Amino acid sequence: MWSYLFRRMIQAIFTLLIITVLCFILTRLSADPMAQYATSARMTTEDREALRERLGLNDPLPVQYFKWLGLALQGELGNSFFSKQPVSLMISQRLPNTLILMVTAEIITVSLALVLGILSAVKQYSVVDNVITTLSFIGFSMPIFFIALGLMLIFSVQFKAWGLPYLPTGADIWDKKDPVELIQHLILPVSALVIILTAGYARYIRASMLEVLGLDYVRTARAKGLTSRAVLFKHALRNAALPLVTIIGLDIPFLLGGALVTEQVYAWPGMGRLFWEYAQRGDFPVVLGILLIISTAVVIFTIITDIVYTFVDPRIRLS
Amino acid sequence: MKRKLSVLLSLLVLASVVLAACGGTPTEAPATEAPSVTEAPSASEAAACEPAGTEPIAFPDGGKTVTGAWDQEPDSIVPYFSQMSYAIWITQLTLAGLGEWDADGNFVAELAAEVPSAENGGVSADGLTITWKLRECLFWSDGEPLTSSDVKFTWEAVMDPGNAVLSRSGYEKIASIDTPDETTVVITFSELYPGWQTLFTQGPNNSGAILPMHILEGQSALESNDFIHQPTVGSGPWVITEWIPGDYMTLLPNPNFHGGRPKLDQVQIRFIPDPATALAALQTGDVDWFPNFSEAEISTVGALEPDVHLIVVPGADFEHYFFNLGTTTGVDGKGAADQDGFCPFKDVNVRKAITLGINRQAIVDTLLEGKTTVPSTQWPNSSWTNSSLTPDAYNPDEAAALLDTAGYTLGADGIRAGECNGETVKLSFNFETTTSQIRIDIATIVQSDLAKIGVEFKPIHTPAGTFFGSYADSGVMPTGNYNMAGYTTGFYPDPMTGVLDSYSCANVPNAASPSGANNYLICDPALDDLLAAANATADPAARKTAIDELQKYIYDNYYVVMMYARANVYGHTDRFVPAPFGFFSNLNWNSEAWDVK
Repeated sequence: MWSYLFRRMIQAIFTLLIITVLCFILTRLSADPMAQYATSARMTTEDREALRERLGLNDPLPVQYFKWLGLALQGELGNSFFSKQPVSLMISQRLPNTLILMVTAEIITVSLALVLGILSAVKQYSVVDNVITTLSFIGFSMPIFFIALGLMLIFSVQFKAWGLPYLPTGADIWDKKDPVELIQHLILPVSALVIILTAGYARYIRASMLEVLGLDYVRTARAKGLTSRAVLFKHALRNAALPLVTIIGLDIPFLLGGALVTEQVYAWPGMGRLFWEYAQRGDFPVVLGILLIISTAVVIFTIITDIVYTFVDPRIRLS
Repeated sequence: MKRKLSVLLSLLVLASVVLAACGGTPTEAPATEAPSVTEAPSASEAAACEPAGTEPIAFPDGGKTVTGAWDQEPDSIVPYFSQMSYAIWITQLTLAGLGEWDADGNFVAELAAEVPSAENGGVSADGLTITWKLRECLFWSDGEPLTSSDVKFTWEAVMDPGNAVLSRSGYEKIASIDTPDETTVVITFSELYPGWQTLFTQGPNNSGAILPMHILEGQSALESNDFIHQPTVGSGPWVITEWIPGDYMTLLPNPNFHGGRPKLDQVQIRFIPDPATALAALQTGDVDWFPNFSEAEISTVGALEPDVHLIVVPGADFEHYFFNLGTTTGVDGKGAADQDGFCPFKDVNVRKAITLGINRQAIVDTLLEGKTTVPSTQWPNSSWTNSSLTPDAYNPDEAAALLDTAGYTLGADGIRAGECNGETVKLSFNFETTTSQIRIDIATIVQSDLAKIGVEFKPIHTPAGTFFGSYADSGVMPTGNYNMAGYTTGFYPDPMTGVLDSYSCANVPNAASPSGANNYLICDPALDDLLAAANATADPAARKTAIDELQKYIYDNYYVVMMYARANVYGHTDRFVPAPFGFFSNLNWNSEAWDVK
């Protein structure tokens, strides 16, 4: 177990290095930070040249990368090109907001998906299954901005116009420490995310349950006279949940990245917005800082998922 | 397994709660009870010269407040360090300059008692010395005196190599600043600088807020200083008391504002990146105004009357198309570009034909709902416009005749071709611009218009971050890797802001001068002479004549196709009553006069 973990950590370091190189290249190619100043009439040629030099953009790309990496290895993510603030500070200001939104959405999504997936599998080809399947596909195939804006227009704008109690658009200023206000402001963005995410999870659970329910050991359990509930939850679900562990394990790190579109639409001050706003401007210290944190989380959670697997399925041994 | 999973998820929730408690703590400046300041100090009060308070005026129970929505968050409150309009806006709300532009586009005094002129002795006969007189009894919001020393300190901070200011343009031409007394600032230039009104003043395209010496003196790397992210004092109508990144900021009245106490008791600015959300929030009343709708949203916002009001302000920014006029040889050893431009564009008749072949008025009438105009020159909606020039009307017949005259005749494929520099060239070329929807829509119409006169116009839309890329990043324009291109810019508030950099031979980007801003790649000695003439005098009348001639030369040579003057589109709720404003001032210039119904 420990040697396995040691090997995985060494692999993880190399993986992260490769990821940072790729992210650096992609970020630098996708947007030029100097593009922001291209039409600034008040900047002269000399001003632009001085700025390039100050931002280190006159260095060859490998030098730019290693300068960034040198800082990162010392735990420094550098300063934003534009706000001039430390990237770590900017991330720490946004991460809690993102976690509140994303973890809430993930918990509700997984819970709902379990119910719908199991129900769908148990009642295969029934009206219930067909309705759930149809709704799943509708949710799965709709663009998130459409759902997010649609929910806002119905439950905020139209409800207000109809004189009904209405939910906030998210664009108001509210007290983050007030739990009632927090819940009110979470309803729409979390609903939008749940609609999109639940479909995928529910389909996985349905397929997995159907596969397991047809196996001999389940038939044996039934033959032993166990109740349907016991068969379903004690025998079938435990094995059917294996793929779910993988999916959740890989999804959790991405929760840190926030929900880009949802955060944009509901003006949620999270990581997704931070990433998008600075990626568009080519601010690679900010972009790389966020990507590094997410990549590290992906690598760590992959290892954690492998370990959790051994608990869920005793047949699996780490060697 | 379920237990393990729930433990894992619980840990994450716990972590988020802990992080929420640790991070994003707002910085709140202490607030005092409102002092009885409702008007600017009278003459008798001025004699006493005491500050009205030392802290922002606390928000009273039942006070009047408004919430604005901005689609981006300013990088800082000091635009010396940021090119964002939002930085200029927040500065207008919180910091003052010596002068500013009013609702009618006139340059007026702000911290100064009056605008220097030759008549009042503020401008020397040679134009090299400008003397500003400050108002009496000026104070920062913390009660410290605001004096001529703050102006001199601001100049020293801008020129300090340790501070990463974006531009020293104009400031580097100051030889010295003398402060014979607390209210007199004598600026001596080393050479004539006709655009002196853009220094130490606040305008739509310049940054000149006076910085507080008593807070920043002796510090370097001001770009990272707390003051520009969490400022504690101000000299404008408002003081920032709370700024939660990515979320909102709160502003309370400055007790010592020279213009008296604002009518409102509080202003909040919410950062909302999506205009669709801002529109919904205007409808629900969550926010009171949004200043940045696109021209394409004019009818959408206008349809919300009477709950939401639309304000369209024609601007001095313009959307223009232009031709790659670069030459690898340059002229007299100057202004060589990396690539030769599209050969037929060297002929003024071809450039004129393309201008006449685009139905620009129809674009304005349909896509922009007639809310703006087709300008004749690059100085639209400004007192500097050469009013003798009128935009060419759509005339496809004349355009076709011009192309015939230039030797480009229709081929079997419907595209004209002709001889250029001894080679047969088809009038088929790329047009580069960004991916914004309005640009895509307009380019599609232009493509259709030009096809009617036998010209194949092929739009290529590239994300702005790449399109505006610099020379070192193989950007489209500085490397000359385009035939035609289009984007928005503007030369204001001084009429020569950015003009020299955009047109002079010395600023054509190439390996030796990679940061050159002459995206047209034009090197025309006659144009260089006109640019020099426009910068050679500070006399307003002589300047107007020189700039008129410059406009006429560019107009006669069809160097650019003026598509339309950009409009600023605002939406605001019925309860919010903004004060009159124009393009040069923008909404924020006199926020002390804002009110609610």
